[in-house]
Amino acid sequence: MKRKSFILVLYFGCFLTLTGCWSQKELTDLAIISAMGIDLTENGEYASTLQIINPSNVAGGLQGGGAGQGPPVSIYTATGSSIIEMNQRASKKLPRRRYYAHTNVLVIGEELARKEGITGILDAIERHQEFRMTAVIIIAHGVKASDLLKVLTPVDKIPANKIIKNLRFTEEQWGEVFTLNLQDVKKDMTAVGKSPVISGFSIEGDPVQGSKMENVQTSDPETTLSATGLAIFKEGKLVDWIDGKTARGTVLILDKIKNTGISFDWKDKKDVGTFQVIRMNSKNIATMKKGKPKITVEVKAEGYLSEIRTAVNLTDPKILIEMEDTIEKTIKEEILLAVEEGKKVKSDIFGFGQVFHQNHPKEWQKLKAEWHDVHFPELTVDVNVEVYIRRTGLRNNPSVLKQ
Amino acid sequence: MPSFFKRRQITKQKMKQKKEEQTKQKIGDYGTTPLPSSLKEKIDFIKSETGNSFDVIIRKADLDEKLGIETAVVYIDGISNTQIINDFLIHSIIKNRELHRKQPNKDIFEIVREEVVALGDVKVLPNWKEVFQMLMAGETVVLIDGETRALGASTRGGEQRSIEEPGSQVTVRGPRDGFTESIGTNIALIRRRIQNPNLWVEVMKVGRVTKTDVSIMYINGIAKEEIVAEVRERLNRIEIDSILESGYIEELIEDESYTTFPTLYYTERPDMVAGNLLEGRVAILVNGTPFVLIAPTVFIQFFQSVEDYYGRAFLATSLRFLRVLIFFISIIAPASYIAGTTFHQEMIPTQLLIAIAAQRETVPFPAFIEALIMEVSFEILREAGVRMPRAVGSAISIVGALVIGQAAVQAGIVSPAMVIIVAITAIANFATPSFAVAISARIIRFLFMIAAATFGFYGIILGLVVLAIHLTSLRSFGVPYVTPLAPMIPKDLGDTVFRLPLWSLKTRPALISSEQSQTRVGGDQHPKPDSSKKMVPKKQKGEQE
Repeated sequence: MKRKSFILVLYFGCFLTLTGCWSQKELTDLAIISAMGIDLTENGEYASTLQIINPSNVAGGLQGGGAGQGPPVSIYTATGSSIIEMNQRASKKLPRRRYYAHTNVLVIGEELARKEGITGILDAIERHQEFRMTAVIIIAHGVKASDLLKVLTPVDKIPANKIIKNLRFTEEQWGEVFTLNLQDVKKDMTAVGKSPVISGFSIEGDPVQGSKMENVQTSDPETTLSATGLAIFKEGKLVDWIDGKTARGTVLILDKIKNTGISFDWKDKKDVGTFQVIRMNSKNIATMKKGKPKITVEVKAEGYLSEIRTAVNLTDPKILIEMEDTIEKTIKEEILLAVEEGKKVKSDIFGFGQVFHQNHPKEWQKLKAEWHDVHFPELTVDVNVEVYIRRTGLRNNPSVLKQ
Repeated sequence: MPSFFKRRQITKQKMKQKKEEQTKQKIGDYGTTPLPSSLKEKIDFIKSETGNSFDVIIRKADLDEKLGIETAVVYIDGISNTQIINDFLIHSIIKNRELHRKQPNKDIFEIVREEVVALGDVKVLPNWKEVFQMLMAGETVVLIDGETRALGASTRGGEQRSIEEPGSQVTVRGPRDGFTESIGTNIALIRRRIQNPNLWVEVMKVGRVTKTDVSIMYINGIAKEEIVAEVRERLNRIEIDSILESGYIEELIEDESYTTFPTLYYTERPDMVAGNLLEGRVAILVNGTPFVLIAPTVFIQFFQSVEDYYGRAFLATSLRFLRVLIFFISIIAPASYIAGTTFHQEMIPTQLLIAIAAQRETVPFPAFIEALIMEVSFEILREAGVRMPRAVGSAISIVGALVIGQAAVQAGIVSPAMVIIVAITAIANFATPSFAVAISARIIRFLFMIAAATFGFYGIILGLVVLAIHLTSLRSFGVPYVTPLAPMIPKDLGDTVFRLPLWSLKTRPALISSEQSQTRVGGDQHPKPDSSKKMVPKKQKGEQE
């Protein structure tokens, strides 16, 4: 009995001394950082921008009455020669303890991404106990990360939230950009046969005006943030931006499109029909032909016709089949556009190399070393698209037909 | 010098002993002192012993005027049935005067016992101890001149509370009767439910001064003999002045005093007692209280309600799960709030964290102090609500709702989130089916709050580990407290957090009921009403409607 109780005491002694999460921190002592931006200054130092939430200005609480009066976020900046050092330096200006566990957005300035790349930055963030690897990463397109984070946004009061939701719903409903978190980026960067593509965000309007409260107090905000384009990386550095159909083609090959509208031409009339995708998936198949690598991109798309602005008899199945062919061609064009762009900058953003690695491991050993620079640009890419028109929306023939 | 003190100590002890002896005599421990033969002496003794109490009624009646044989009927007004005494004792004595002359061979005492006293239960009382015992229980004592024995006739009665619906355990479906303060009524309520000669009742007097009737009830053959013997022994061991409620007994016979968890179940419902007796448990009834103790008790019983067995099995099972959840909410809800907001902010979704942070912005206290203030003020409010006279009770709720619910939040002393947490905890606490465990959870909650304030969720987990260890260490009359979970008894798991259909609960709880007969349900009782399918004939092919 005595022995038993001694062991019990010993156990609990260990429990109490071996704790990891010891430090207590009151909520009112925390500066909750919603987003962090990193730029490169003119003299080659880093500049970080911390977007800190003012809780009482966000939530419509009973007390305080401050909701909507002050800005929902405050910006603090600091410069330094290393990421962690400069962030700690920011605490000179901050009344509270910096808290990174809710930092959901990391913004990288374009200049930094081009000149220095993101590899070093990710290392510091990965090592940090509080920073989450599920935070979304974006590249400031044509602007500084600090300017991007200063812009106040209506509807979603916290700009970081607006960025995340913006990305998510654009991905779901249109598909030119997609959500990518730090973990995904890290995976892409460590893989040999794939380079990361990261969504970009830009400011529409005047950045200075955007940081003022007036920006959210009008029905037509002067300055807004919008998702624009995808940044292509090569060896950790930004090399090119793609936009529009090229960007959608890229997202399509990456199999991340859930829902989108594809405009197609019909009998010499440009963009008169829209095919609304409800299900779409793509698959990359790698084959070796006489020692030469070949990729077949197979796309299957199902959907309905959501718009027809020309006289066409949709009750005729033959016409629908013909229409499917047209849409297939349109999709194929988009994909090839994206592939061409990737080949131009010599960066395999589609992960074709990974497919070879998985299916032809032996041959991959030979291809591996010069994949991005030699083999990928010479790669033969076949595209097979299958389109199924399941419905024609809530009506059959367009009213144009009756005239 | 030391010897001097020693002597003084001895004399002190002696004095104490003497005093104790005196008080023992005084409080009516007469031993086997026989009765004197003279009626006058007997009456005088009773009068002096009861201090000429107003409610001790002594009615003299001549049995034979010529021979000078007198009798006296002694009873206590209020606890005996005067109607019966008048009709069947006094009236009978007067009517049967000089009866003994017709039977000269027979003893007068025997004649009175056999022919005069027209009542069912008549006892011969050989000494003062038994005379007083009968008298104080509401029976009537008949004293006869020249006899050293007395007669005791059962005339218990007097005003009693009628059988009402139990206030502490209300059900929607189920019997509406509850126990009363009278042990006789309570035994009858149980016996009416189990009409079997094997339902055995043992009665004993406990309490040196109060002489309270305590009875053990069990079903012979179903109850485990060791447990019955253990209960009997523990009750016999009790030596205390008074037993005023079953809580006295509970505290004196329980296995472990230093715990917040009750190791004996108490109930006001006869159907619950009957159900437990049929599982092999022992009921302990105490005169003067409607609460009956049940032993042995296991922890899971506190999450069960009698209604579980009256309603459908699916609902009962889901309700039991809900009750376990409720128990956990009522012990760790405020603790989790403290841990979440002061240690593990990363675990709270961002939006929620901002909402909580905004509320806490104006609160001047740390989360733990805030929680403590709210919990304590709620406890004060609850205590006030329970103890206040009913007429003023509603004022408390208004003041409480205004002061704590609204004003404190508007003043920025506490955050609305905290009010929600306290409210949820309180409601969860009220929803616990057993009041005994609800009280236990009330105390433990504060310990968990302290653990959470010092170590965060780690502290809560640590607390739960300690709680689990503590629960498994408890026993109730030798039966481990968390049976059938630890030790695991697979066949008993059907009636724990689950309540499987009655036909599938084939045996009684293993550790509690007797090993000889544990079968509860005979054969395959799963209802399969095949015949009813034929009641509606199948339609023939081609037949038209």
